[in-house]
Amino acid sequence: MRRLSEKKVYIIPCSGIGKVFGSIGREATYIVVNELAKGKAVLECLPLIMKGKKEVIEELKANKVITIDGCPLKCSYNDLKEVIGKVDAQFLTTDIVKENRGLKPEPSIIPIGENAKQLSRKLAEKVSAKVNKLLDGNEGANE
Amino acid sequence: MKVRTNKMKKKVGIIACSGEKLIGGTLARAAARIVVEKLRPQKTIVLCQPLFMAGGLERHGGQEERDFAKNHSTITIEGCQEECAKIAVDQYSGESAATIYIQEFLDAHPELKPKSREDLGEDGMKLAEIIAEEIAKKVDELFVSN
Repeated sequence: MRRLSEKKVYIIPCSGIGKVFGSIGREATYIVVNELAKGKAVLECLPLIMKGKKEVIEELKANKVITIDGCPLKCSYNDLKEVIGKVDAQFLTTDIVKENRGLKPEPSIIPIGENAKQLSRKLAEKVSAKVNKLLDGNEGANE
Repeated sequence: MKVRTNKMKKKVGIIACSGEKLIGGTLARAAARIVVEKLRPQKTIVLCQPLFMAGGLERHGGQEERDFAKNHSTITIEGCQEECAKIAVDQYSGESAATIYIQEFLDAHPELKPKSREDLGEDGMKLAEIIAEEIAKKVDELFVSN
């Protein structure tokens, strides 16, 4: 059995492409896994999880999971709760937008605008802090 | 590429796999946006893949996505061989009208090398435009055939 310190944190963004809020979650995820929590956090495709890929689901059950959603429907959170039965922490990109009223995200999705990039980084910093807390063993599976 | 022509209504649904892990997902997403924003904005609508697949749809309001695909032709865009979008549409809303495989375009255009899954770069965006043009042709075929 793996020790807690060897566990990874899976970041699952919602994949939404209808509005920029999904893109902010995706961009934040890339910042976390490539930079702020590199080696600690990894990414997995939500559609693949929902498809029921067995090895992916087993891996998620054995590790910590953070969801990032772009709208209140919270597809990633709800999907993960249904498929693997737990989510250790959740984030909503609209919350980071509300907390930073001066950074109105541009509607452009590809590419995202400068404000959206800044919001993504702010969200990534929060997610990264949560990754560290989860790996310290102080939090988890309580969402 | 598979094409099936039936169930035509006023708009064609575009559902991209949107997977974040591979460059194919990024290309699928970019191509979908180009179609619905630039090439065929009056004829297409983007469907949200995660919402489409979401569990407890009735509780969370996502049934509309599946209902749309039941009553309209839908084109799926697959970023890898897992065919997540096609499988979802086929399972919940009936057979998709056409399926676009990103890998076929990567193979057909070796001169275009997308930079990364995070940033497609100039080549990647050119490839996304090519894929989007092909999707737009399929949209037109679906309109003409009905």
